[in-house]
Amino acid sequence: MRHGKYPFIIGFLVVPVALYATFVVAAYLQTFQLSLTSWSGLGKIDYIGFDNFVKLWHDDVFWKSIKHNLFLLILLPIITIVIALVFAFLLNVGGGHKGGQTRGVWGSKVYRIIFFFPQLLALAIVAVIFGRVFGPDKSGMLNGLFPASWKPWLFLADERYAMACILIVLIWQAVGFYVVLFSAGMGSISTDIYEAAALDGATRITLFFRITVPLLWSTIQVAWVYLGIAAFDAFALVNIMTVDRGGPNGASSVLSLMIYRNAFDFSQAGYACALGVVLFFLTLTFAALTLRVTRRESVEA
Amino acid sequence: MVVAASPRRKRVDDGVVTVGRSKAGTVVANAIGVIFSVLMLFPVYWVLNTAFKPADEVLALTPTFWPEHPTFANFTSAFKAPLFLQDMLNGLIVTVLAVAGALVVGFLAALAIARFSFYGRKAIILVVLAVQLVPFLALLIPLFLMLQTASLTNSLIGVSITYLVLILPYTVWTLRGFISGIPRELDEAALIDGCTRAQVFWRIILPLTGPGLVATSVYGFIQAWNEFIIINTLNSPAKQNLMAWLLQNQTTRGTAWGPLMAGAIITSIPVVVFFLLIQRNIATGLTAGAVKG
Repeated sequence: MRHGKYPFIIGFLVVPVALYATFVVAAYLQTFQLSLTSWSGLGKIDYIGFDNFVKLWHDDVFWKSIKHNLFLLILLPIITIVIALVFAFLLNVGGGHKGGQTRGVWGSKVYRIIFFFPQLLALAIVAVIFGRVFGPDKSGMLNGLFPASWKPWLFLADERYAMACILIVLIWQAVGFYVVLFSAGMGSISTDIYEAAALDGATRITLFFRITVPLLWSTIQVAWVYLGIAAFDAFALVNIMTVDRGGPNGASSVLSLMIYRNAFDFSQAGYACALGVVLFFLTLTFAALTLRVTRRESVEA
Repeated sequence: MVVAASPRRKRVDDGVVTVGRSKAGTVVANAIGVIFSVLMLFPVYWVLNTAFKPADEVLALTPTFWPEHPTFANFTSAFKAPLFLQDMLNGLIVTVLAVAGALVVGFLAALAIARFSFYGRKAIILVVLAVQLVPFLALLIPLFLMLQTASLTNSLIGVSITYLVLILPYTVWTLRGFISGIPRELDEAALIDGCTRAQVFWRIILPLTGPGLVATSVYGFIQAWNEFIIINTLNSPAKQNLMAWLLQNQTTRGTAWGPLMAGAIITSIPVVVFFLLIQRNIATGLTAGAVKG
């Protein structure tokens, strides 16, 4: 397999490498370049040095957006991972231990499909659905379920709860995928370990914390990175669901939304690119930090 | 879903072990499962409920849990809505082009990475993985500019290429795994028997990667079909897909929730069908993956 391999390698890789060089690498370089200009999106391009970044620093909406991204960054991974772990555990080993078999709760196959279902719906559809769920009048699903005497809740139209509503939808949509991911991980943990621990008198809760979580650590780490990236994005939901796109009064603005609106609504392409640069570095820093901080000795199975 | 399926056994209390597992605990576990399932399903159920209700029931002040006069009117009105069929066709074209392209390009790239060692191989793997981390939204402006220079904005081709780039990393990564799983001895045996290397790839590796190709194409289909930010930004409504159509109609139609929900259901059907397909295929893929001597 040595003779004349280079024609194959070059032939096989030239298209993907070219695609990435233009669509990702060159595109990012251009984002960096445009971030130093006052370009509106049309016409002349003027370089203004780091003015965009100075402007960012003094922009209230920017800091609000950062705050909202951090809110999602902290809560989305924690809540999603905890729920997904608990359910994966229930589905796989929560049903007890009978006749020498550790098994999931009754009906675990059905649960698995149900939990995965939201994952199949496009974000556009999820956003439209939850627009109905959180409808601010009596025709909204939740308000419709509340007792008739209650005043309708505003949900997304309320500055205090807008981000919480977004968070709930993100969790609702994500949980299923992570249940499946963790289930796959748990499937590879030898049942002997559970048997042995159960014989030693371990309760479900002990099994969960002493066996499942440590052995799944690397999968949890991956989940954390993915969810963190989702928290940095969140564009689709915020763009579709929130009042005035990012409102009320900036109460649900996130970085990705700022990028989009500056670029395509406010004709401030240069400023949008500066935001893009910030988002780029934030995401990479987050990924690197997560992998570093959560690194720990892998447990031998 | 590679979960060890415990063989169905009769619930015999043969007194073996139930150490530390109380009956009450099992009840609680099941109760949590049921409650959570209801939470997960309720919004989906509400969509179905709304889609089959006539307009006056949708807007009724006391919503009912079941359409009293179920109707298909919302579905027919969605189909008759302007651009619905057009956008459905667009979505299909763009998705098929992107997935087919990604399969060809991705399979070849995965072959190179899995079967050859060469300078820069590690770097390519790293880039493939890193691309999935960077926020795509920040690339929208340069992307728009590039496609505009190539006169590929407001075109299905431009969007197809963009989607191809989007689903390629996953395709390469997954296929690489599948190809690495095929023993090299097979290649070598074929070479000794007089196959050229190209024949080895075409006649041995490609067929054995079949299940992997199915899995990646389904995933790619779901991604491309569900995408709407890019197509919405690059193209005008006549060249968008159903997701973008849905959003447009959400804002312009105001309270016409029935047809909108019916549209959402129609739009989701292909993905749900493909999900059911992938489930079966992953199962056969796993068993077929074992190469018999």
